[in-house]
Amino acid sequence: MHKEQIKAIIEGLLYVVGEEGITKEQLCAVVDILPLEIDSYIQELKEEYQSDEHGFEIVDYAEVYRFVSKTSIHPYVEKLFKMNKSNSLSSAAIETLAIIAYKEPITRVEIEEIRGVGCDLMLRKLQMRNLIKELGRSDAPGRPILYGVTKEFLDVFKLVSLKELPDLPNYDSLSDSENLFD
Amino acid sequence: MTFLVSIDKFAGPLDLMLHLIKEKELDLFDLDMDILINQYIEFLEAMDQFHLEIAGEYLSELAGLLEYKSRALLPNIKEKFVDEEEDPKEKLVRRLIEYQRFKDISSLLNERFDERNKQLSKALSFEFDDIIQDNDLSELKGNPYDLMKAMNRCLRHLALSQPLQTRNTVTEMTVEQVVEIIKANFGQNHKGFSLSELIEKCYDLDEVIISFLAVLELIKIQQLIYHINDAEEIWLKWSNSYA
Repeated sequence: MHKEQIKAIIEGLLYVVGEEGITKEQLCAVVDILPLEIDSYIQELKEEYQSDEHGFEIVDYAEVYRFVSKTSIHPYVEKLFKMNKSNSLSSAAIETLAIIAYKEPITRVEIEEIRGVGCDLMLRKLQMRNLIKELGRSDAPGRPILYGVTKEFLDVFKLVSLKELPDLPNYDSLSDSENLFD
Repeated sequence: MTFLVSIDKFAGPLDLMLHLIKEKELDLFDLDMDILINQYIEFLEAMDQFHLEIAGEYLSELAGLLEYKSRALLPNIKEKFVDEEEDPKEKLVRRLIEYQRFKDISSLLNERFDERNKQLSKALSFEFDDIIQDNDLSELKGNPYDLMKAMNRCLRHLALSQPLQTRNTVTEMTVEQVVEIIKANFGQNHKGFSLSELIEKCYDLDEVIISFLAVLELIKIQQLIYHINDAEEIWLKWSNSYA
């Protein structure tokens, strides 16, 4: 198969799967090429769509490839649909998610220790939204449940993997104290 | 001093303490516990005066602070701190710093979340629903949350399948206007008409309500006579006074 042909197939598949997206493994199996080969094709496609003449692009949050509209066209989407901003996370929810993402696997008590607030209900809410999941149980007394973040979490925060999380700010030394409360 | 910030604004006692430290321009690394504790107590008291509910977490931190303060007031017991694993002040500072780190990261994550919300995808082609259903028939396991998630998904698909209205014109009609419309539509009908006939002509709930109000008005001024038959259907007839 020609290179252009393979790219066209990948592009077509991405179109069909829509928001469900497709993994690299799936693409390889369907197109019948090796994972090492497919990277360059995807990369080329990605770059092509990145250019300003396109209104949507390819993202790979949570290692799932999908087409999404570009943020730059969003003002026009809002105009078209009169969007109501129903999709939001409270600051308490994001705080809890941040702690879990950086510290997973982590128990409820450990999260509460950092936040200074009971988190039982919050954890259930986040579980319901599929942003966190149970990773088993700790060996500590009472065998408490360990929590971690889901693929959905990665997608929602534009992360390919947890390795992409920005470093936690470091305030351990006095010299940083000035910019602590910017 | 007056407190302009309500307790609801804070994610918890640590958040509140960080706010007070910032407000009083205290140095977190050389924390003046006296000022912080007094501010904290003052704040809770003010909230109490406004009859705002204070969550248990705030009170439990308060207990810790008060313990620290009362111990500090008794010089002869001071050395007791040394025996403990960690100085309570150091522990608090460590917790505040740790909390601040996650707070800062949270605002960064929040930005990413907003950006992601502006990137929209198309739903999977509907032609595949059948295939996916057939495959899934065998395994019907899951907890109630899965069911809720699935339902949410269905609702989302449903919302997507309906053409979104891009324009929404709201026209408010007065009872008088509707009376005229009813007269125009049913005025010639001397045999009368049923209420459901009238309702069928309405586009939305607002119109149903206003039409019903118009009918009541016409009955009140005795231009319409009503009759309820055995099938509990409401029939309306123009009275003789209406020509």
